[in-house]
Amino acid sequence: MTRLFLPDTAPVEAAVRGLALAHPDLLHLHQDPLYVTARDRDPRRRVGLLSGGGSGHEPLHTGFVGRGMLDASVPGRVFASPHNRQVYEASRAVAGEDGVLHIVKNYTGDRINFGIAAERLRADGIRVRRVLVDDDLATEDETTATGRRGTGATVIVEKLLGGAGDTGLGLDELADLGTEIAAASRSVAVASRAHTSPAQGGRAFELGDDELEYGVGIHGERAARTVARPPLEELVDRMARQVLDGLPRRPDDVLLLVGGLGATTLLELYAVHDRVRHFLDAQSVRVAGQLVGTFVPALDMSGFSLTLTTPGERWLDWWHAPARTPAFPVTQPLAGTEPTR
Amino acid sequence: MTLDHRLVLSTYAQTARTAHDTLTALDQLSGDGDFGDNLREGLDRVETALGERPSDAAFAVAASVFLDEVGGTSGPLIGLLFQEIARALAHSEDAREGWRTGVAEGLAAIQRVGEAEPGDRTMVDALAPARDALTAGEDFAGTARAALSGAQATAGIRARRGRAAYVGDRALGAPDPGAVGVALLFWSLARVAEPDAAVDTLEELLGRARDGG
Repeated sequence: MTRLFLPDTAPVEAAVRGLALAHPDLLHLHQDPLYVTARDRDPRRRVGLLSGGGSGHEPLHTGFVGRGMLDASVPGRVFASPHNRQVYEASRAVAGEDGVLHIVKNYTGDRINFGIAAERLRADGIRVRRVLVDDDLATEDETTATGRRGTGATVIVEKLLGGAGDTGLGLDELADLGTEIAAASRSVAVASRAHTSPAQGGRAFELGDDELEYGVGIHGERAARTVARPPLEELVDRMARQVLDGLPRRPDDVLLLVGGLGATTLLELYAVHDRVRHFLDAQSVRVAGQLVGTFVPALDMSGFSLTLTTPGERWLDWWHAPARTPAFPVTQPLAGTEPTR
Repeated sequence: MTLDHRLVLSTYAQTARTAHDTLTALDQLSGDGDFGDNLREGLDRVETALGERPSDAAFAVAASVFLDEVGGTSGPLIGLLFQEIARALAHSEDAREGWRTGVAEGLAAIQRVGEAEPGDRTMVDALAPARDALTAGEDFAGTARAALSGAQATAGIRARRGRAAYVGDRALGAPDPGAVGVALLFWSLARVAEPDAAVDTLEELLGRARDGG
């Protein structure tokens, strides 16, 4: 029995149904197999954009389905990859005239299940390519062959590709662009309290009041290091410096995501944001766009992540392009409508 | 030559039932213990789904069962192999030609998805020797022998991919269950296509697999 307020059977199905019922104008729910598609799509879009992965990271990805972002999202069980059949059926449902692009976070299960779906789509004659998001610096030094995990940058990749897709770019252009965005993004995250274990229901691991896990991912795995908890300013400066130094080249301006890990309040996240901005100002790095809130959590972990992306040409246009989804903040009116004053 | 592919799959299903306990025991050493269940259950479902369907459609039916309904990672990967075999058989007059192309394409798809190389201790270690044997013009019995010895050689390999990578040396001494399971497909094929050829009996094979080759 979990301590979370979830039904004992089919919790993900219930939550996805509830989300779709909350946004009947935006989302179309498919129950067997489970996936969600957008009701509205820019007519210029030639490639279906699809993402997915384990549940527990809400609003990712289902909250970003809609005009200007994803055409489909495929949720797995909590922290588990979706089945290839879900990915396959959802891809067939949203493939455009130039095919479908899979946005995949770098985890073995997701790579394999999306990969199998891609092979099936190719066998059907549907063009498919993959963007692999791998932004987490905490997993960069490991000697394993698995590489950096995919975390917060996924939402930045999804927004930029959505904006670019709505200008009519083709599959290869979008896949290459997505790969560039992922390559220009780095993240790091800390936690002061573990999430609720989806299997056992209790705290997934224990931490002292004066301790922090430095370098957590989003599946509740412990970080490589437990550190003494420093004052917030010191902690944020250390994280921001690490992410800035981790970028492939030092930027003049950045896209910034301050992301909650599930149980962190906006009061805290805005305070973190204030300090990150102070740090970046001092480094003469301009923030060209920012997002503060809970977008890619690890269930109900107490903690936060910092993500920076060095924008390329036209990326800021796509960042600011209108999007209408359950969870991406609306910044501008939809094309063709006038703002109300 | 022509082949009854329904019979190949039902022979494989029967083989998987007999091998179930061995495959489970092997997977308990290195994985989560469900490989025997997944293979046996998947092939049982294939037999049911085949019903009275023609032999020509057999591998296409098997592909959709394994891709859609079998859990774990190895089940859908075997589904990919079936998908490519089905496609190649549909485009070939000759069964040998179909298997040569299908196994090569299936192996390529599995490697694209799983990113495993020969020597990583996965099903690729049975498939790659089978592909090589077919390419070299071996008959099905020779192909089965190549696949089986590839599978048995994994007993001496430390895993780099798949579940077994997490347990390190502890899996040494016993072969990879996925490799053995895939090799049994070629064993079943040889029994149907060349019943008089000399290949080990299933009892001999499974005994060797349990004892670590």
